[in-house]
Amino acid sequence: MTEKVTCKEVMQHICQNLGHELNSEKCIEIKNHLDKCNHCQEYFKSVEITIECFKKYNVELPKDAHQRLMEFLNLDEG
Amino acid sequence: MEENELIERAKKGDKKALAGLVGRYEQTIYNFAFKICRHPDKAEQIMQETFYSMVKSLHQFDGKSKLSTWLYRIVSNHCLMLARKQKNDNFVYLEDDDESLYTEKYSADWSNIPYKETENEELKKILDDSIQKLSPDYRTVFLLRDVEGLSTEETAQVTELSIPAVKSRLHRARAFLRKELDEAFRK
Repeated sequence: MTEKVTCKEVMQHICQNLGHELNSEKCIEIKNHLDKCNHCQEYFKSVEITIECFKKYNVELPKDAHQRLMEFLNLDEG
Repeated sequence: MEENELIERAKKGDKKALAGLVGRYEQTIYNFAFKICRHPDKAEQIMQETFYSMVKSLHQFDGKSKLSTWLYRIVSNHCLMLARKQKNDNFVYLEDDDESLYTEKYSADWSNIPYKETENEELKKILDDSIQKLSPDYRTVFLLRDVEGLSTEETAQVTELSIPAVKSRLHRARAFLRKELDEAFRK
């Protein structure tokens, strides 16, 4: 018989193992908890959104930066 | 031309091949440097230093890792060196069992966070402010693993940390950033 997990443990587990498919007894218990607990489902979703926000925030190399780089490296073909 | 051939030619001093390698990775390196330092001029400076190091040390690249992984190591080191020079010590200190990271209050409505709008300036400001509270070594691990999509092993290789250290920094960084966004959107 396994111990019941708390929401805090589930939240820690989400942050530790997001992106990993784990099948230990503890993980199965966590998944069972997640299936039933809206609170932790929301937490799970919010961690995913956090990562997604940072993934989507990209910047383009500024105009002329390529040329400056080539000159800096003396790779300029002129 | 295949990357391996470019590398071999560049190692022999072929300028066109070197320029070809720079061209392949300049956008990735600039973008990554920006994500660490959140400043366009600093990101450009770091990018230039990274490729300068690449040109100087390419003969040491043994091909055991991907060239991109090797470049991530160089750019990460330059970012950390710049951060050390700036001596900004106002970073949050994250502890393993930091209760406040797992707050049980959920007043932010996450369904309203405009995370699909890539050009939302308010969101960008929140993201910049939150990640800058993390020390650069936590930022690096989070960005390499979650944003750039490197494996835990590759992240450990780039940062020269053990795999447990990568995992521990990653989970604290995730929890911290989630909490920051939660607080920002609660306002």
